Amino acid sequence: MNNYNNPNGYLLLFRGTDWHKELSPEEIQRIMGEWGSWFDRLEREGKLAAANPLENEGVTISGKARAVADGPFAESKEAVGGFFLLTVETMEEALAIGKECPALPYGLTVEVRPVAPACPVGRMLKDVEATALA
Amino acid sequence: MPPHNPEIPKLTEHLFRHEAGKLVSALTGIFGIRRLQLAEDVVQEAMIRALQVWPYYGVPDNPAAWLMQTAKRRALDMLRREKLFQEKQPEISASLERLPDDADGPLFEEEIRDDRLRLIFTCCHPLISQEDQTALALKTLCGFGIPEIASAFLTSEAAIAKRLTRAKQRIQDQGIPFEIPAGNELESRLDGVLHVLYLLFNEGYKASNGESLVREDLCHEAIRLGSLLAAHPAGNLPKTHALLAVMLLDAARIPAREDDEGNILRLKDQDRTRWDRRLIGAGMMHLARASVGTDLSEYHLQAGIAACHCTAPDYADTDWPRILAHYDRWVEISASPIVALNRAVAVANVHGPKAGMDAIKAIAKPEQLETYYLFHAVIGDLEERLDRRMEAAARFSKAMELTGVASERSFLEERQRACETNTPFRAGKHKGPSRTA
Repeated sequence: MNNYNNPNGYLLLFRGTDWHKELSPEEIQRIMGEWGSWFDRLEREGKLAAANPLENEGVTISGKARAVADGPFAESKEAVGGFFLLTVETMEEALAIGKECPALPYGLTVEVRPVAPACPVGRMLKDVEATALA
Repeated sequence: MPPHNPEIPKLTEHLFRHEAGKLVSALTGIFGIRRLQLAEDVVQEAMIRALQVWPYYGVPDNPAAWLMQTAKRRALDMLRREKLFQEKQPEISASLERLPDDADGPLFEEEIRDDRLRLIFTCCHPLISQEDQTALALKTLCGFGIPEIASAFLTSEAAIAKRLTRAKQRIQDQGIPFEIPAGNELESRLDGVLHVLYLLFNEGYKASNGESLVREDLCHEAIRLGSLLAAHPAGNLPKTHALLAVMLLDAARIPAREDDEGNILRLKDQDRTRWDRRLIGAGMMHLARASVGTDLSEYHLQAGIAACHCTAPDYADTDWPRILAHYDRWVEISASPIVALNRAVAVANVHGPKAGMDAIKAIAKPEQLETYYLFHAVIGDLEERLDRRMEAAARFSKAMELTGVASERSFLEERQRACETNTPFRAGKHKGPSRTA
């Protein structure tokens, strides 16, 4: 795992749209509150560049024929239910934030992905620099 | 990124749970009782929708109205998309549209008042077994989840799921109606409902080990449903107010029942400043409203006794003769040996431990009490006061064997030891179980 500084930030993808099915209203209210405070704190600290929930529906387009298929992603373990685009610059910090997700104990998974820089040469230069300094 | 409201209004405690109960009632009123599951599913989806979007966009100004509108929209979508209720679809859509948007407003409360009561009467229908009734009431009326119900009743989730399925099947098979009974039937059906609320309350009130939070919630849910009943013309009877008074006056003493370490405190050792004055006030108000007319139920007598305790400055200055008078009348209308046992405690407090022992010996069917740990604990207490310490110790140890509650056991153990070593028992100093155990 590269821990180079990445000025483009990190994306947290929240996977799973079925983990909340069996929750009771009381639990839903509690997790909702925890998630809200987590969100607010990150926002206050200036660590969120963007964040949105996604609808459980949509279409997929594929192939040369540009075939459009209904993608009812409802209730699947893999479907993305929302994302945070973090402004943090290291994997370490992005991971630490991802681990705070209050829905992890209930089966949601958090995927942490570095956002690639616009110019890959820039990154290669950085890697060379880092190797040279090491 | 969407604009975010930094001033997140704090949600009322248990808001989701309470709204779930209301919304399920309202939707069942529209879909019909045979579609109870559909109503529950729609409400669940509205709650999950809130979980998915509120953290990002903030809590809406009127959360209850938001949940209401979302459930409504979801129900309409389902009607159209899944072609439910084909023949009655326009009717059902129109009823859904008519639901007021403000689920927290007085208009909505008024609108669904009857539906909530109908659902209470359905859940507490005598064709459903009593243990299934309590589970169903908690699920549909109070918005509890299966794990929560299981932990409240100290049983497995599978057992609760089974009870719920059985109860719903029963509603289908027997065609149990969604209605407030009328005429002669109302009175007896109301007795059944009151009894279920009483069971719910007692289940929560019973001393427990480690689960005190959920169980206290049961007490408050029973009070909430009782208040709904009392506020409705069909349920507004003296005995409803009497039951409410019992529950409020007992619940008022919950904060003082244990010390900071979770040890059980006897009534005489409780810090009475910790009793909830607001609940006592409400309880006394309902007791007054229970006293109109000539109806005298067991709830009346029990509320009268609880009121004597709640208004006494301390244990010694309690009006024991009056309590005994209530018990005397209670044993006249109840064959319960437990009531007779409690009466014996009152006898001992008025006429001394010897008279208390005689009252116990006079209990009609004492064999029913042999496996009841408090039977032995009470005798142990009287033996101790009669200075028969070894007999007392034996009784406390018998009581210990019979209770499954760790905090009760450690309390009894301490008393037993005090008897055996001939040292005075010091309240609240014994080692109790840890709350997290």
